Amino acid sequence: MGTFTLRKGRNIRIKGAARKEIVQLPLPKQIGIQPSDFKGLKLRPVVKIGDRVKVGSPLLEDKIRPGIRIASPASGTVAAINRGEKRALLSVVVETDGKQEQEAFEKIPGLPSHLSREDVIRILLHGNLWPVIRQRPFSKVADPHDTPKSIFIHAMNTEPLAPDLDVILEGQQPAFQVGLHILKKLTDGELHLCTSGEAKSKTLTQASGVQKHSFSGPHPAGNVSTHIHWVDPISKGDIVWYIEAADVLRVARLFLEGVHVSNRIVAVTGEGAQGHHCYANTVIGAPVRSLLGGHIPSGMRCLSGSVLAGKDVSEEGFVRFYDAQVTIIPEGGKREFLGWLSPGINKYSFSRLFVSSFLRESERSLDSDKHGSDRAIVLNGIYDSLVPLDIMTYFLVRAVLAKDIEEAEALGILECDGEDFALCSFACPSKTDIGSIIDDGLALIDKDE
Amino acid sequence: MGFLENQMKKVETLFAKGKPLAKLYPVYEALDTFLLTPGTKTQRAPYIRDAIDLKRVMISVVVALFPCIVMGIYNTGYQIQMASAAEHSWATAFGQGLQKVLPIILVSYAAGGFWEVLFAVVRKHEINEGFLVTGILYALVLPPTIPLWQVAVGISFGVVIGKEIFGGTGMNVLNPALTARAFVFFAYPAQMSGDAVFVAVDGFTRATPLAVAAAAQRGTSAVAALHQAGYTFQDIFLGFIPGSIGETSTLACLIGLAFLLITRVASWRIVAGCFLGLTAMSSVFYFLHGAGTLALFSLPPHWHIALGGFAFGAIFMATDPVSSSATDLGCWIYGVMIGLLVVLIRVVNPAYPEGVMLAILFMNIFAPLIDHFVVRRNIRRRITRAAAK
Repeated sequence: MGTFTLRKGRNIRIKGAARKEIVQLPLPKQIGIQPSDFKGLKLRPVVKIGDRVKVGSPLLEDKIRPGIRIASPASGTVAAINRGEKRALLSVVVETDGKQEQEAFEKIPGLPSHLSREDVIRILLHGNLWPVIRQRPFSKVADPHDTPKSIFIHAMNTEPLAPDLDVILEGQQPAFQVGLHILKKLTDGELHLCTSGEAKSKTLTQASGVQKHSFSGPHPAGNVSTHIHWVDPISKGDIVWYIEAADVLRVARLFLEGVHVSNRIVAVTGEGAQGHHCYANTVIGAPVRSLLGGHIPSGMRCLSGSVLAGKDVSEEGFVRFYDAQVTIIPEGGKREFLGWLSPGINKYSFSRLFVSSFLRESERSLDSDKHGSDRAIVLNGIYDSLVPLDIMTYFLVRAVLAKDIEEAEALGILECDGEDFALCSFACPSKTDIGSIIDDGLALIDKDE
Repeated sequence: MGFLENQMKKVETLFAKGKPLAKLYPVYEALDTFLLTPGTKTQRAPYIRDAIDLKRVMISVVVALFPCIVMGIYNTGYQIQMASAAEHSWATAFGQGLQKVLPIILVSYAAGGFWEVLFAVVRKHEINEGFLVTGILYALVLPPTIPLWQVAVGISFGVVIGKEIFGGTGMNVLNPALTARAFVFFAYPAQMSGDAVFVAVDGFTRATPLAVAAAAQRGTSAVAALHQAGYTFQDIFLGFIPGSIGETSTLACLIGLAFLLITRVASWRIVAGCFLGLTAMSSVFYFLHGAGTLALFSLPPHWHIALGGFAFGAIFMATDPVSSSATDLGCWIYGVMIGLLVVLIRVVNPAYPEGVMLAILFMNIFAPLIDHFVVRRNIRRRITRAAAK
């Protein structure tokens, strides 16, 4: 049990929040699964074009640990297996048939208290639901052979315009509770439920059998790294597992009903999604376009996830596997005359170098403009106020750039993920991609091991 | 801005690959992004970015220097009028000052800019805005009588040896402007120090306040010596004294400081540390002073703050984020040490009446070491945490 009030960090208020209302969307004509969403897996397709699949049928399988498979979120026909350079697998696309026929899995009715850890792993793997469990360090799909020292339920999100877990989990208390019971069996340590200090949903506030922690403060108070760092920090050799709160429900229903649930509530946000701002009930792998009524206005950037931690999936892209948010923002790139001289009444900045810094903060319209050229890091003192971890960002970045793995590990890189430094990348006057540098460092360490 | 954008696109073709001017592309790029914001878009997360860029940061430091520049120009002219006993008027003082100071600033920018461009062209990177600050900082810490060729030689040394050989902006160990000044100070002492260089009138000599205080008899009061030489605290604080161009007025420096702190460009910890260190050390000397001690022992802390280039150095030179400490605790240590050293050099080392430049350069060298220990502390914390389980 813990209540954590964090001061470091910053909330970016941008326009385009989703109305707190769940809207049932029709099943999209196509869905896509993208292997790049699954860190740590080397996936190969187990279907061919034209094969019929049901909801829960495997589409992809890990080459290294063949038990780990990625399920199809829809029933229909495999329409395309897209490959890029060097035959790298980009996506598997399924043409839906609208029937959503379910693959039948083993059913464990009632409270599954008699199950062993091995049973739980077997059922999750068999039900093709294992990839919902990820691990730290490296944010990759968990290895069923590992025993984590604890498991974290990620039940809050502080990204800009992030979905409110209260809306997504409303009325799901019984299933959520079963899911917690099941997950508890996977660790000898604690099961930690990390929620926002403002969480109201009974699903979260009345959860039992877990260690409950509430976090308040600006972003990134809702990040997994922040929770782990304050509750049960990891050192070299430790492994912690984590799972999104919405996926706890899918785990529960796999056990209770023997079905692979593939629906996902996605918050449709951002200025460019005008008229579609809502919590859309759709399926995993839905095309971004389908969330906007089939039409995306021109000159927009389509992100799966938030503006800080999301990914540009383009107008033709699909929502990523772990995301419960899409953000549509206007493209930048307008050139301004003598921009460095302008008072900047409409500029958005953490710094106080613009007139706007002294005006009352209101919801802003921010586009994809970089607002400057790349430079060497000069102002190195701004990062630490944006990271609520005991991490010396500037020195960590230097260690990674020097490829000094030992130093980077000593400075705590294993506790982090690139997304934790999104605010640093945002605020850096030299436009340094701090988050990408950290991710590169983590990849380097992961490869060495 | 369509018209200008199109014109710049036309010009760009002259600098395109394969064209005769291709090598000078960084010059075009600098001009282009000076006139129009770059307008590049984000490629990776985060997809939105802060409106701040290094141009804005560097320009803001130059803006913070404005009071010092204006006061420096005026005071240079004012000192000429005082020395030649001419009739005093604001406008003529300003005009005479401008005649002396403007060429120094222009030469500093031109010579230093040349090296910046050369390195950008050879290294094929964009021209860095950091030089906008280095160029003016250096000009402001020179005596108004300095020969212009020495200005050029000094800034060349500062830019090339102080910065570029380390890899350019962001990589340098020493503050380039101070490196440049240190070079001319030791290479051409006759034009950089003494009683004749700080007032731009031929043959006129007047000892600077620090020289007066240093030269006072053992056991006597330094303040009395200063009063006798015609220096009042008010003149010193406001800056109506002979000295390097931009550093005489503590008031102007403090106005600049206010701007830097409000905009949060400079580290308040470093500035606070400098003032704390200086006050502490000069208080110690003040309480130690007696019949047999050097006269400078008796100089109270507020005089130390107002004298020499302390305020200018602490506010504009010590706070250079690249060559200073990069940790919060490190900034305090770094600042306090500068303050202590300034007084130590001023009071007990009679060879150099002014210690600000050397104190800052010395601590520039130690900043990475201070950071090293602060970082080790963080690492130790992590090891202890792992062992505690």
